[in-house]
Amino acid sequence: MAKLQRNSVRFPAAVRSKAIVAALGVLLAATPAMASSNGTLGATSTGTVTITASVANRAQITGLTDVAFTNVDPSATATQAQNNCVWSNTATRGYSITATGSGTSGAFTLGNGALSVPYSVQWSASTGQTSGTALTSGTALAGLTSTAANPICSTSPNTTSSLVISIAANNLQSMVSATSYTGTLTLLVTPQ
Amino acid sequence: MLSRFHLLAMAALAALRMVIAPAAHAQVQITQLSDVSFGNITALDVDQVRSQSLCAFSGLLGGRYSITATGSGTGNAFTLSNGSAALPYEVQWSGTAGRTSGTNLAAGAPLSGQTMALSCPLLQATNASLIVVLRGTALTSAQAGNYSGVLTLILAAN
Repeated sequence: MAKLQRNSVRFPAAVRSKAIVAALGVLLAATPAMASSNGTLGATSTGTVTITASVANRAQITGLTDVAFTNVDPSATATQAQNNCVWSNTATRGYSITATGSGTSGAFTLGNGALSVPYSVQWSASTGQTSGTALTSGTALAGLTSTAANPICSTSPNTTSSLVISIAANNLQSMVSATSYTGTLTLLVTPQ
Repeated sequence: MLSRFHLLAMAALAALRMVIAPAAHAQVQITQLSDVSFGNITALDVDQVRSQSLCAFSGLLGGRYSITATGSGTGNAFTLSNGSAALPYEVQWSGTAGRTSGTNLAAGAPLSGQTMALSCPLLQATNASLIVVLRGTALTSAQAGNYSGVLTLILAAN
């Protein structure tokens, strides 16, 4: 304690008292109900701090590309498959996927004014697939597992899953030739 | 009449005493530490920073001290754990209170050459800053869940 006094700037007693009271007030205010520990005065002084963080469940889908069926032969089913990236940070890397179309009540349909044609959607939790599990509009397909290492698959694997879209031959045959049909497919990924 | 040798010897002894005396009595203390809570992190791609001002007292001449931090991860690494997965974090130190960035600390490696500007807590409530950083890159690689860990800080006269 003698060293403490030698290194301290001396103040009048009243000022010292106020400073000590203020310092004690700060110390008391910081003390209660904390797991942290302050160090004691000594040759070395050791304090500890407990750090806590909670990482929320999150998922992300990336790598989607637009689908174009151009000049398709209406005698056979037209299919377009694409690879994409689904990431989930849960302990199991699990996720579900829900698809909705832009047709009436979320139907999987393409349209041009009053014209409409249905299409089907399949999903596979593996990359490079040309078929998968058929999705029903608005209904989650659960129990899927991601292999992504990060949210955008910037490291291997660069893709984790496959989206497959098809227009059946009979539906192709119902379409008006040289007419463009468009629609939007929305994919919702939820961590599980 | 003292010889030149005696004068040199006395000067050397005086210098030695100056070097040894403060070290022998140097007292240090780290106080005003608080736990660090990052809460529920939802923006995983954003760096999360928590800083706190604390009191680092050194009785050494010039208020010099070193600070060493160790984590509770494997090999004293700065990692939090949820029981099965680890979440790395960074620790920074500033010799000034109220800072949100400082010098990066390596686990177990003293950061020396720090100086106590004013005696603490008598002349000021706090005089240094501890900054803990969870990088977005680590958060996006982390498994969801609740993480915790203990950071130990050792103040020494330097």
